[in-house]
Amino acid sequence: MTANTEAEVRVDSRRTQGSPLHEFTTAHFNVLSILAVFIILFVFFSIRADAFLTVDNLVNIGRQIAPTVVVATLMTFVITTGAIDLSVGSIVGLSASVLGLMAKTGNPLLALAATLAVGAGIGLINGYLTAYGKLQSFIVTLAALIAVRGVALLITQGYSTPIEVNWLLVIGQGQFLGLYTPTWIAIATVLVGWYVFTQTRFGRYVVAVGSNAEALRRSGVDIRRLQMWALVLTGLFAAVAGVLVSTRLASGSSNSGTGFELEVITAVVLGGTSLMGGRGSVVGSMIGAMTLGIIANGLVLLQVDVYWVPITQGVILIVAILLNGNLVSRVIGRIR
Amino acid sequence: MTITENPYRVEMIDIRKSFGAIEALRGVNFQIAPGEVIGLVGDNGAGKSTLMKMLAGAEIPDAGKMLIDGVELARSGPRSARAHGIEMVYQDLALCDDLDVASNLFLGRELYHPWSRRLDHRAMHARAQEHLQRLHIRVKKTRQGVGTLSGGQRQAIAIARAVTFDPKVLVLDEPTAALAAKEVETVLQLVRDISSRGVSVILITHRLQDLFEVADRFVVLYEGAVWRELVPAETDLSGLVTAMMGK
Repeated sequence: MTANTEAEVRVDSRRTQGSPLHEFTTAHFNVLSILAVFIILFVFFSIRADAFLTVDNLVNIGRQIAPTVVVATLMTFVITTGAIDLSVGSIVGLSASVLGLMAKTGNPLLALAATLAVGAGIGLINGYLTAYGKLQSFIVTLAALIAVRGVALLITQGYSTPIEVNWLLVIGQGQFLGLYTPTWIAIATVLVGWYVFTQTRFGRYVVAVGSNAEALRRSGVDIRRLQMWALVLTGLFAAVAGVLVSTRLASGSSNSGTGFELEVITAVVLGGTSLMGGRGSVVGSMIGAMTLGIIANGLVLLQVDVYWVPITQGVILIVAILLNGNLVSRVIGRIR
Repeated sequence: MTITENPYRVEMIDIRKSFGAIEALRGVNFQIAPGEVIGLVGDNGAGKSTLMKMLAGAEIPDAGKMLIDGVELARSGPRSARAHGIEMVYQDLALCDDLDVASNLFLGRELYHPWSRRLDHRAMHARAQEHLQRLHIRVKKTRQGVGTLSGGQRQAIAIARAVTFDPKVLVLDEPTAALAAKEVETVLQLVRDISSRGVSVILITHRLQDLFEVADRFVVLYEGAVWRELVPAETDLSGLVTAMMGK
């Protein structure tokens, strides 16, 4: 091989940048496609169902979807690392039960702390076995899904426990500036979650682990601790969701949160987060949860048979994923 | 180069490593002086990459000692290796395709504001741009996802990441595999430049002719042990190939 000694400076004149609109849509099209689905459904329900576009109804939806939004924010982190947490629904059931039982017998503040500690503790077990035990998160959290529900049923013997402490009920039923407390908690979770995900090293490493864990490890980052923390935090916030659900209903039921994990995962996937890891959006997950929420609410208002709700949600999931992958990118290709 | 009481930047003594029943390295002794360029050669599976991954902290040896500037590395790991100024370009590049160019360059040493914990995106992009320009790497946008780059560009990013943070020891494991002829020349020039600044360079490559251009010394591994050490002036391509075959 001979060295090329020509000192000519060649400039690559090929285009590397589209219009700002094109740049923005390409960078965010996962989120934009679910936003489009959300807007279409929102407009449809506003036109067809008289009671849909009212302040009362929207405030109510905001309260209903709050637990999903809270947990979906954290689930976005877990799924972006390439893991999954199937145990969140059972943690909701257990934390609701623990709160109910402990609020009845003793100090409500202690009950609240213990409830959150139980969630974080289960998350710690999930996280430790996944990160340090090198077990698949799917299997670990599936086992937790089964066992934790069993614990909830065991300690309550299947009964619901009424919660009668007023200040605890404020968490689920209180209103501030027109919105319910759970809605505010959900908004705060999304804001902090978005900040951590996009603006901090933790968020960056979450993406990097899902993208190429070995590369991150070789860069000197403790990836096991990172993977563990993602599951600990999800457990903790599943317990927060359990508190929201039980204080809204003024009753701690061991059956609450059944199927909740699937709703949360659906919201996250709708929002454009990849189950393969490496790609995720907290804002997308929120819009995903909002989309599921207005489908449930809008179809009921349209007086459609309630069994159509899950059918529609399933179809929307497939449609959104199709849009995400093919159609939208083709449309974007034209508007450069 | 001044002679101090310790002439070696890195000393690896009696390094051993097994993967299950397979003995990968069986007592390797390896030294490199400041500013020296070593061509590490050997057949596939001779243990070149494994040995270098240990230097970079990505693999932990079963036995043996590693000394940096005469001081034994107490706890080896990628973080400690980096702290000692050892950088490596891995054969598989070790890039995160879902992150952009600047994020990959700063992976594991991001710049951030101390109290808000907020990443300093602007500073990282500006500095990434600067570094790439200085290395004549033609990537126009540091916000481009690494997954969208060509093989050559990806390799260039991996090299840039290793040389950007003033290493004392640079390990290049097949750094030119995906590069065009002219880019190979750029990498070889880079090796000459940084070794003249006192950086020790270890180069693993299948392009043996490149080694004759830059290496001060060849270390030949054969079946997990050092087989020969050769000087370029006293050997030729066929001599090197013969040594690699264990003859």
